Amino acid sequence: MASLGDDGPLVGRTDTLTDVQSYLRDVGPGGTAAVFLTGESGVGKSRLLRETAEALRGTGFAVLNGTCLDIGDASPLHPVLQALRRHDAGAALAATADDAGALLDRVSRDLRSIAGDKRLLLVLDDLQWADRSTRQLLLYLLAGLGDVPISVLAAIRAEALHGTHPLRRVLAELRRLRSVRVVDLQPLTQDQTRELVTAIVGGNVAIEDADRVYKRSGGNPFVAEELARDLRDGRVELSDTLREIFLSRVDELPANAHAVVHALAAGVEPVDHLVLSRVVPLPEDQLIEAVRAAVAHRFVASDGDGYRLRHRLVAEILEQEVLPAEAAALHRRYAEALEAAGGEPDHARLAFHWQRAGVPARALPPVIAAARAAEALYGFAEAHRYWTIALRITTEDDKERTELLGHAAESAHQCGEHLLALARLEELAGRADAPGQCDLHLRRARYLAAAGRSAPAETEYVRALESPECSPQQRASAAAFLAELLLHLGRYADANERAREALELAAVDGSTADLVRASAALGFSSAFREDPDAGLAVIRHAVEIAERSGHPDDLGVAYLHLAELLTGPLNSIEEGVLVARRGADRLAKLGVGRTYQTRLLAIAANGLFRVGQWAEADAVLDIAMRHRPSGADAVELLLARCRLLVGFGELENAHRDLDAASTLLAGGGARHVLPMLTLRAGLAMWEGEHHDARAAVQRGLTETRSDDLVLLGVLAWHGLRAEAEAHVAGKAVDPGALRRLKTVRDRLAEGVNNAGAARAVVDAYLDLCAAELSRIENRHDPEPWARAAAIWDRRQQPYPAAYARLRHAEAALHRKTRRTTAIAGLRQAFATATAMGARPFAKEIRGVAQRFRVSLADDTPTVPMTVPEQVTDELAALTGREREVLAAVAEGLTNREIGAKLFISERTVGVHLGHIFDKLQVRTRVQASRVYLTAA
Amino acid sequence: MTQPIWGPVQQEMHDILQQHPDDVPAVVDQLAQLQVVLCRVPPLLHSNPLADFNKLYLTITENVLERLYAGKFKDPAFLSRLDVEFAARYFDALRYWTEGSPACPGVWAGLFCRVPGPDARPLPSAVAGVNAHINFDLPFALVTTFDHLGSDPIDDSDQHHDYLQVNDIFAEEMPGLRRGYLDRWQLLIDTMNGDLDDWWQGELVEYTRNVAWRNAQKVWAVRHDMIALDKERRRLDKTATGLGKLLLSPFADFLQ
Repeated sequence: MASLGDDGPLVGRTDTLTDVQSYLRDVGPGGTAAVFLTGESGVGKSRLLRETAEALRGTGFAVLNGTCLDIGDASPLHPVLQALRRHDAGAALAATADDAGALLDRVSRDLRSIAGDKRLLLVLDDLQWADRSTRQLLLYLLAGLGDVPISVLAAIRAEALHGTHPLRRVLAELRRLRSVRVVDLQPLTQDQTRELVTAIVGGNVAIEDADRVYKRSGGNPFVAEELARDLRDGRVELSDTLREIFLSRVDELPANAHAVVHALAAGVEPVDHLVLSRVVPLPEDQLIEAVRAAVAHRFVASDGDGYRLRHRLVAEILEQEVLPAEAAALHRRYAEALEAAGGEPDHARLAFHWQRAGVPARALPPVIAAARAAEALYGFAEAHRYWTIALRITTEDDKERTELLGHAAESAHQCGEHLLALARLEELAGRADAPGQCDLHLRRARYLAAAGRSAPAETEYVRALESPECSPQQRASAAAFLAELLLHLGRYADANERAREALELAAVDGSTADLVRASAALGFSSAFREDPDAGLAVIRHAVEIAERSGHPDDLGVAYLHLAELLTGPLNSIEEGVLVARRGADRLAKLGVGRTYQTRLLAIAANGLFRVGQWAEADAVLDIAMRHRPSGADAVELLLARCRLLVGFGELENAHRDLDAASTLLAGGGARHVLPMLTLRAGLAMWEGEHHDARAAVQRGLTETRSDDLVLLGVLAWHGLRAEAEAHVAGKAVDPGALRRLKTVRDRLAEGVNNAGAARAVVDAYLDLCAAELSRIENRHDPEPWARAAAIWDRRQQPYPAAYARLRHAEAALHRKTRRTTAIAGLRQAFATATAMGARPFAKEIRGVAQRFRVSLADDTPTVPMTVPEQVTDELAALTGREREVLAAVAEGLTNREIGAKLFISERTVGVHLGHIFDKLQVRTRVQASRVYLTAA
Repeated sequence: MTQPIWGPVQQEMHDILQQHPDDVPAVVDQLAQLQVVLCRVPPLLHSNPLADFNKLYLTITENVLERLYAGKFKDPAFLSRLDVEFAARYFDALRYWTEGSPACPGVWAGLFCRVPGPDARPLPSAVAGVNAHINFDLPFALVTTFDHLGSDPIDDSDQHHDYLQVNDIFAEEMPGLRRGYLDRWQLLIDTMNGDLDDWWQGELVEYTRNVAWRNAQKVWAVRHDMIALDKERRRLDKTATGLGKLLLSPFADFLQ
């Protein structure tokens, strides 16, 4: 873009250029592709970006360019917004997004509209300086969540990756994807350097001269090119260091051009002409002449946006040459020029220049403005940096400091810098005009809990509760939070007690949020203490409270808790699904709470998957994905959909979702790693890639926390199943892997007694493990499979139950014992598989049937019947009013809504329901609804 | 580069280093592959100092892996990530060296350039590698891991305990470094009486690994500040390089 037609020849990069282009066209299953170019400064990354962009423009690609800034505290999403601005789009982006996910969605929409019907090539230079928000946006786009057909080409300085740069991990995770390439740009070889030198000098070059250039430049094309020019111009270069080479060049510039180059080195590129004219106070014609000279001497390039130095290396060298006083004066002139320019102020730039001008008082307002602007874009990491700068440029005596400390602590907490958040809070506590003790305790507790330091967090909550200046409202809030914390710690008795206290306090003085939080803690702790009905009642009540308040957060949280309790510890999956869907509908009608809707739908979809209603689960996931989730919510949904796709046998699409989830997880998210690896193993198994399945499980085993018994159980089963499948396919079983899996199984068996509510599930997986082991050891024992089938039946999960039935039948048929039972089981499994749409599984059952000459086509029903037969009679027992109530229940209405509809009190509805439940002999609303719907 | 750095095994080294292991089993696998190839580097073959270090590192990582499978760590996700991050830095250094890139950290270059000889005693050689890896790589690996997992390096946390458990593994695998030998170390350090002795005291690996934890906390605080970070990197490289040189000098022979 800044070429002005005098780029040197491109040597030794022809193959790389071709490769990069083909990588960018070679999109993965998600329709995206990325190439990350790494290499040292001056190795020619930017040049390669330009050449690639040129080559792809007009061949079906729309091209956008952005550059990250090294001012360290640029505004969130800077390079992408800059790219959009260059396209005259996305100007008023910030104000319209009501959460971070919506912001990503907005940016995607702008990118889509620019792309039109073409692929989009997003070119990002100097990605090592990208802010956290930009990195997240990139992962979001590459995961295909923005629905933009995008290829990303980004350059990263290799030097930046040495230390602890966050991109290190991101790249390490992305590397494994088929759609991502990391291309390391090497220096030129000796021969390539010779070629470059010859091309620049033109004509004959003595080999010794060319080799001297190679030796001095180390094959760095940027330096080699400059040295070759010296050779051509007959200049004798005495120095070897890059720094001296360039300084001697600068010295040769005319005085005014010299000033221009120095000014640009201090500026934030690109510098537009008007600003430069204020920074370099020269008459217009002289200034233009000076710029021309700087361009002619190959220091400066100019394009539509303004001027920039040809290479950042030059700026870095010049920065060290300028006297501090000179630099300060330049920065002051920049700041004044930017202020005088009017228009929308660029807070980040102003802050940058005023700070370096050494005028903290002038720097403070733009720093604060930049912090607020970053917060408006949900860039908490960036905001935190600005608040920190603000603190650095104020002194102890400044009045603003207290407020600044408050912001700094909160933004640190928001972006996960818990230690810093606590440190800021301590400083805040020490100030004369600090907020009250109770407030401080509460905030400290919140930060400590977020940092995973539960014990001191608990102490702080207790202190807040005991603090005399604690208002009743704060007390209610503290008790509710404390109950929640204790629940997470698994101290159910304590949680229960605190939750009761909180509920009492909140009922009088608390906010609805506190009431809901306390109810949830009480409900869960009761359920875990083996009083599920009481727990359920409390949380149902919380939903009603939230319904009354109508606030989206209250509604979202309450419905989430109820759905989680039902699908989780209570294992009333169908009712849980119903509740989750109702909650999502309710919020959708209000048009708010996108995140809550997504989470509720994820619960519904996972529940539907478990009870074998896969088509329905698919439909729910479809709706959820239309909410355009981001971050952890998106990972959750992608994994859920992937599981479903594996079940359906749509393996290509399953790979797409798995890759997308891996892409997002490259940005962090430890708790989803295990489910992802389990799915990877499952997918590989269906594809017959036993080695991949084994590798995924073995990796998973090194990352499980010992208290995640359920996750560990699933993983161990997958591992043993993979070994068994390999064994059956005539491949070798890995003895090392098997030994480790047995160790894990033993750990599970030891831990199962302390598993609490998860005990039944862990037991079920242990049975599956034992059964797979018998398969590996050629024992063909039907017994463990029968146990597994029974236990999964009890859990109402047809998929694993049917799988156990298949294996049971297989073993029994092999042993030629109890053939009739085996055939019945096989047919039942086949019916389940067909009803769910589990094609690969059904195929496997057919295979087994053929092997043992068993006919699957019997008169067995194709759908497993779990609905009792005698329903019609039972409805007859209901009164007219009770039928009306039941009809409304089946519609999914709450007691309050039914009351309103039938003009009776909520209480009366409850009484009717009690009678209905008794007469129909059911325990839940869902069961009652099902009886009604079957009869109707 | 007129001559391949690894002589006859240059291509094999290059090929092995093209992989980027992303889990602990894969790290063990890569170290095992390296061990085979390193033992074929002339003229010292299996007694070259890098092979000594690699062998020790392989043993330790295998031990870590076994403990992971046995559920011995409180936060395996943390330790696995750390192990992978940690190893990646050793592999990076090897890759830079293989490509003749100036980006290879000085402390590693000091060990790599001794591969052709002269012969050093196995214990100080292994220790020189441990020095590079722990004094230089470990703090950065720690910071990257914490950053990725979204938690902070807090003393007495689960992660800290897991981290300290690795000290036990070092102690098991390096009997030569147990207390009995430390007097000699102390003597060595006293003789040096340079800037080493204010942080170098007492037990070797345990102490060093704690220094790494402290350094990680230091780096953690400045990790967003590129300039400060680079300065810290150079400081650590310089100190570790000095120590590495000492370990590979004839002077260190008396340790064994």
